Amino acid sequence: MKKKHMDYFLFISVILISIFGIIMIYSASSIWAEFKYQDAFKYVKQQGLFFIIGILAMLFASKIDLEFLRKKANLILGICFILLVLVLIPGIGTVRNGSRSWFGIGGLGVQPSEFAKLGLIIFASKYLARNQKDMGDIKKGALPIFLVIGIFFVLIMLEPDFGTAMVMALTLIALIFASGLKISFFAKLGVLGLVGIVALIIAAPYRMARIVSFLNPWSDPLGSGYQIIQSLYAIGPGGLLGQGFLNSRQKHFYLPEPQTDFIFSIISEEFGFLGVLIVCGFFFFIFYRMLRIALRSNDLFSKYLAFGLASLLFIQAALNLAVVVGLIPVTGVTLPFFSYGGSSLLISMISVGLVLNVSRRT
Amino acid sequence: MVKNMFFSTIHERIRFIFIVSVIILIAIIIKVFYIQVFAYDKLSSLAESLWSRELPIKADRGEIVDRNGEVLATNITTVSLVVVPGQIDDAEAVARDLSDILGTDYQDMLKHVTKSTSIERVHPEGRGLDYDIAEKIDALGYDGVYLLKESKRYYPYGTVLSHVLGYVGIDNQGLSGIELYYDEYLTGADGAIKYFSDGKGNKLELTEVYEAPTSGITLELTIDIDLQLAIENELDNAVSKYNPEQAMILAMDPDTGEILAMASRPTFDSNNYQDYTTEIINRNLPIWMTYEPGSTFKIITLSAALEEQTINLFEDTFTDTGSINVDGSTIHCWKVGGHGTQTMLEVVENSCNPGFVKIGQTLGVETLMSYIDAYGFGDKTGIDLNGESTGILFDIDKMGPVELATTSFGQGISVTPIQQVRAVSAAINGGKLYTPYIVGAFLESETDSLIEKIEPEMTREVISEETSSLVRYALESVVANGSGKNAYIENYRVGGKTGTAQKVENGSYLDGNYILSFMGFLPADDPEFVVYVAIDNPKGVTQYGGVVSAPIARNVMLSAIDILDIEPRSDGMAKEYTWLDKKYSILPNVVGMSREEATKTLKNFKIEYSGDGDTVIYMSPNAGYYVAEGETIMLMLG
Repeated sequence: MKKKHMDYFLFISVILISIFGIIMIYSASSIWAEFKYQDAFKYVKQQGLFFIIGILAMLFASKIDLEFLRKKANLILGICFILLVLVLIPGIGTVRNGSRSWFGIGGLGVQPSEFAKLGLIIFASKYLARNQKDMGDIKKGALPIFLVIGIFFVLIMLEPDFGTAMVMALTLIALIFASGLKISFFAKLGVLGLVGIVALIIAAPYRMARIVSFLNPWSDPLGSGYQIIQSLYAIGPGGLLGQGFLNSRQKHFYLPEPQTDFIFSIISEEFGFLGVLIVCGFFFFIFYRMLRIALRSNDLFSKYLAFGLASLLFIQAALNLAVVVGLIPVTGVTLPFFSYGGSSLLISMISVGLVLNVSRRT
Repeated sequence: MVKNMFFSTIHERIRFIFIVSVIILIAIIIKVFYIQVFAYDKLSSLAESLWSRELPIKADRGEIVDRNGEVLATNITTVSLVVVPGQIDDAEAVARDLSDILGTDYQDMLKHVTKSTSIERVHPEGRGLDYDIAEKIDALGYDGVYLLKESKRYYPYGTVLSHVLGYVGIDNQGLSGIELYYDEYLTGADGAIKYFSDGKGNKLELTEVYEAPTSGITLELTIDIDLQLAIENELDNAVSKYNPEQAMILAMDPDTGEILAMASRPTFDSNNYQDYTTEIINRNLPIWMTYEPGSTFKIITLSAALEEQTINLFEDTFTDTGSINVDGSTIHCWKVGGHGTQTMLEVVENSCNPGFVKIGQTLGVETLMSYIDAYGFGDKTGIDLNGESTGILFDIDKMGPVELATTSFGQGISVTPIQQVRAVSAAINGGKLYTPYIVGAFLESETDSLIEKIEPEMTREVISEETSSLVRYALESVVANGSGKNAYIENYRVGGKTGTAQKVENGSYLDGNYILSFMGFLPADDPEFVVYVAIDNPKGVTQYGGVVSAPIARNVMLSAIDILDIEPRSDGMAKEYTWLDKKYSILPNVVGMSREEATKTLKNFKIEYSGDGDTVIYMSPNAGYYVAEGETIMLMLG
C-alpha cells in the first residue's frame, strides 16, 4: 500500500465546523448556563476541552493500524456489549433526561451507546468484508449480522434511547445495503417496518395522537408540540439573514436546553437561511469527502468502514435536522459537531479520524 | 484482484445512497426555506406575541372647552400601581410593603402579586394614587412593580353644565352627555411600553419600544361659559325663591342653532356623579322634559296665520267674552270676563285664548298641523346629545274642532323646550329652521388648531322674512304692552311670550300645578339671542309665566347683552305704563347747550355735573335712551 497524505479538505472542514459548533454552543447556552451555574462559559469550556481531546483522538485514530482494529473488532464489540448491559443496571448507570444511558465519571459523563455505534460499524465492516461472497444468501449472509444488530438495538432501546437506536439501525442497514444484498430484501424489510408501525398504533392509539401532534404541533402546544413549536418560533423569525449572532430570543428560556438537540434552531434564528445553507453545506461536503474516500479505497474492510462512518455522521445529522425543522417526530438525536456533549463530539471526531486513516492508504 | 468484482456493486449502492442523502438534505433546506420565508410573517407574529409584553399608557382624553376656549372638562394626572408577577422575586415581601404603604389588606395584595398573569393592575386600591404614596412605592425599587401614569377626568366647574358635559367611568369611558355622545372623538389611542421578555417573564434589556399615546380630540362647544354661569345663577335663585319641582333655562343663537347655554335643576356634579340618582343625572330637562307648552306655543299659531294671511294683525278684530264655544265645549279665557274687542295684535299681547281659537279656526286642522310639522314638533331636533324626547301631537286624522282649538293655544299636545326654542327661533329669524347643536368645532389636542368647524345646518324655511318680521313686531309688543312686560329692558328691543301650562298627570289636569315659562329674544329687529325659561310648579307665587319666568328671562338677557356685546337700540317700542311702573322718557340731547339750558331741558332727571366750563360737552347716558324719570344724568362741562 502506498503511503499518502490524509484528506486535508476533510480534516480542515471538520475543524472549522467544530469551531463553529463551539461558538454556537456559547451563544445557545450562555443564558441557560448563567442561570444554572452562574457561569455563562460553563458549557463552552467543557465542550472546548473535549474538542482539544477530540483533535488528539482524531489524529490518533488517523494513524492507528486499521488491520489491528479489524483483528480486534470482535473484542471491541464484546466490550461495548458488556458496557451496554452494565449501564442498564441501576447504581452503575445513571439516568439523564429519562434514559439510563450514562456512566457518571466526576462531572463528566460517558455514553456507552455512542461507542457501541462505532464498535458495531467496525464489526459489521469486518463481517461484510469477510462474508462478501455469502451476502447474496440471506440466511447465510444477512441474518447473523442482523441478529447482532438486533441485540444491540434492543439493549439501547431498554435504556431507553430511541434516537441512538434509530441512528445505529439506519446506519447498519445502509452499510448492509451497500454490500449488495438484494433490493427485494430491503423492500420486505420496509413493508415489515410499516406493518410493525401500524400494529403499534393499533395496540396503543395514543401513538396516533403523537403523530397527529407532530403534523400539527399546535394541537398540544404545551405538551408534545412544545419543543417543535419553540423550534419553529426560533427558525421562522430568523428569516433569510437571521437576528444576528447572540441575538436569539428563543434561547432565553423558551427553547429548553438550546445547546443540545435543538441547537440548529438557534443557528437558524441567529444566522437565518444563510446559516442553514452553510451548516448543510458543511455536512454535504464532509459526507461527500468521506464517500469519496470510501469509493477510492481498495481494501474492502476500509471501504465499508469509511462508508459506515460517513453514513453514521450523515444519518445522525439528517435525523436531527429533520426533527428540528419539523419533518419527522421528535426522536432525541444530537447534531454532530454542534450539539453539546463530550462523548458525542469525541465519537464524531474519532469517526472522522478513522476515515482520514482510510484516506492515507488508498 | 478477487475483491474487485464486488466493487462495482458496492460503488453503485454507495452512489445511490449519496443521491438519496442529497435529496433528504434538499428536502430539509426546502422546509427551512418554507419556514423562514413563506411562514415568516405568521411565525414572527406568533413568536412576537409570545415574547412581547405591553405596559399600556393611557391616552389623554380630549378636553371640552367653551366657545372662547375656557376649559370645561380636562384631565388631571394620577398614578396607578401595576405589578408583573413573573418579575417579582419575593412576592411576600413585595405584598407586605405595598399593603403597608397603601394601607390595604396583605392577603389581597398577595393575590395581586402572585396572580398568574403577565401584567396585573392593582384595582381599585392602586388606582389614582397620590404623589407621595407613589414616591414611597418607587423608593422600594422592587423589580416587577411599576407605576403607570393615568389621567383622571376633572370638571373644574363642578355642577355647572353637568347635564351637557356628562361624566366618565373609572376607565375614562364616556357614560353620559357630550362625554358619551362624542366618546369616540374624545378617547384617543392608547400607547404602550413594549418590551420583550424571556421565557421566565423577565424583561430583556435589549428591547424596549415606546409607543406614544395619541390624545383625544378637543371639543369646542357652542356654550358660552359666562352665559352658562349666569343662567346657573338664575336657576339657583329661582330654586331658593320658589322651590320648584324642576326648572330649566335654554339659550340659543336663533341665526345658527348654536346652543349658548343650557341648564336644569336639579343638577349634579360630574366629578362626583356617584352621589346622585340616575334620574337626576339622566334628565337633561331642556331636551328630555315634555309638557304642554301653553301660551308660548301661540307664536307658532300666530306665525302660521300671518304666513297664510288668514288674519290681519292690525285690522282684524276679535271680541272676547271670556269664553268661546267650540263644537259644544266651552273654552275659557284666562281673564275672567274676557278682554272685550281687540285687534289681533291685542289678542297676541293679551295672550287671549278664545282669540287664538279663532286664529286656529281660520287656518283649519290641515294647515295648522302642516306648520307644526314644518317647525319640527313631534320629531327630535337632532341636537348632538343623547336622551332627547320627541313629544306627542294629536293624530291629524282624529283631530276635531276641539283638538284644533286647544292646539292653537298650546294645550293637549306635549313638546320639549328645545323644540320650542328651535321653532320660535325660526319664527323670528326670517323663517329658517336650524338644527340645534352644541359642539361647534373639533380641535387638535396639542395645538388647539382647527380640525373641523361645524357649520349651522338649516333644515327648511318655514315662513317668509316678511311674516317673520310681523311675528317679531307682535312679540315685541307683547313685552312692551302685553303679558310680557316684566321682561322689558330699557334701550333694548325685547320680544317674548309668556306661557302658563297646567300639568297633566294620568290624563287629567293637576289643580294649581303649573309649568310657568317665558320665551324671550333680543334685539327684536334682528334677534341674536333667544332664551327660554321654564319653572315647574313654583311655590308661593302667582301661577303666571309673566310673573315668575319673565323676570328671570330678563336677567338672563341683561347678562347676554353684557357677555355677547349686544348693541342697544333707540328705535324700540316704548313700554306702556301702568301705575306700578316708573315713567320712562327719551333722553333729549343736551350736548352743546349751556348749563342753564340743559338743566331746564332735563328737569325730570337728577343731574350731576363735572368739569368747570359752561357748555355741556358730554352726557351719560347718551341722548335717545329711555331713562326712568328721577334717574341721575351725568353731564360734563367744558
